[in-house]
Amino acid sequence: MSKTLNRRDFIKTSSATTVGVATIASGITLTSFAANANENPVTNEKRWGMLVDTNKLTEVEIDGMVSACQQENGWGNEVHSTGDQKPTWVKKLKVQDKATGKITSLPLMCQHCEEPPCVDVCPTNASMKREDGIVLVDKHLCIGCRYCMMACPYDARSFVHEDLTDQREHMPRGKGTVESCTLCVHKVDNGESPACVASVNSDAVIFGDLYDPKSNINQTLKKVQSAQIRADLDLNTGVRYSGI
Amino acid sequence: MYRLVAILMVLLVGNVFAHGHADHSNLGEEASSIKASGKIFHTDGLDVIRKMHPEFLNHKRDKTLREGVRTEESSLKGCVNCHATKDKKTNQYHPVSDKDQFCSTCHQKVSVSVDCFSCHRTTPRKGTK
Repeated sequence: MSKTLNRRDFIKTSSATTVGVATIASGITLTSFAANANENPVTNEKRWGMLVDTNKLTEVEIDGMVSACQQENGWGNEVHSTGDQKPTWVKKLKVQDKATGKITSLPLMCQHCEEPPCVDVCPTNASMKREDGIVLVDKHLCIGCRYCMMACPYDARSFVHEDLTDQREHMPRGKGTVESCTLCVHKVDNGESPACVASVNSDAVIFGDLYDPKSNINQTLKKVQSAQIRADLDLNTGVRYSGI
Repeated sequence: MYRLVAILMVLLVGNVFAHGHADHSNLGEEASSIKASGKIFHTDGLDVIRKMHPEFLNHKRDKTLREGVRTEESSLKGCVNCHATKDKKTNQYHPVSDKDQFCSTCHQKVSVSVDCFSCHRTTPRKGTK
């Protein structure tokens, strides 16, 4: 073992160490950068969107999406609300082709329009669209007038009719305010996918940045035929459907 | 004149006692342990956080909701997580908005309602200490 370290060996060992350190160090830099990502305000360089393939998506999976949303955001346990009063952030919708009678099921939630009618009609600026295209209700400003619910062509918003306790930490909800799908904004800001998307195991529902040419959703939308619901309204929705 | 001075003195002393609760029984589990360890969490000073917390929270709420800035600084979650007190018998957290709990002690005294908790969670998240 009493080997003397000659010049050549020394250079070999030290360069291997340097490469090793550099690899680890670059990893650390990347990680810390990702952790700091949500210190900066979101920008309009991104536009979050979702693509639902109704041919691939089964009814069971749609039910799974609804319950994943309930679990994540804590809605659906309202005891005093009846019928239409019950909040519904996402629902299973069945559409039938009149000619053939073919029934297609699809999950319907806030479509995160680029030109949201709910934002247009809100008297207090509570209904708002983030720079990255996510449409939200600022419940601090919401007065519960429900104009947005009337303006929404997708019936995507709900009103909370009763006092609530034990809300999710990341999703404050309360009586007298309007609420709807937030595209799981708390998860998106941390680099995760919305709960409903994560609950589907196949690629029947894709989530991502519509503007990023490298993203799966962008590339898929370029390839497949897709549609916006009520495209005639020219709202340019963030949620797209293929197979309807 | 002396009477006025006396009344003033009583008021001043009363305020001192109001702020300097001897036992700090409702300070909250985590806040108490931070205090016991001798660390200082509110480095700007307690008078600043006492006076300015509504402004801090309002500023943060807009940053978070509208701009997606999700840092721990001035986070209401943080306030609740640190300042919630546990019931010694049931081992359950008291909501911070309950009577004589951390938030409501002062808010009752100055007669200002706390609107945060009609929507926000009043106890630390399930699964945390």
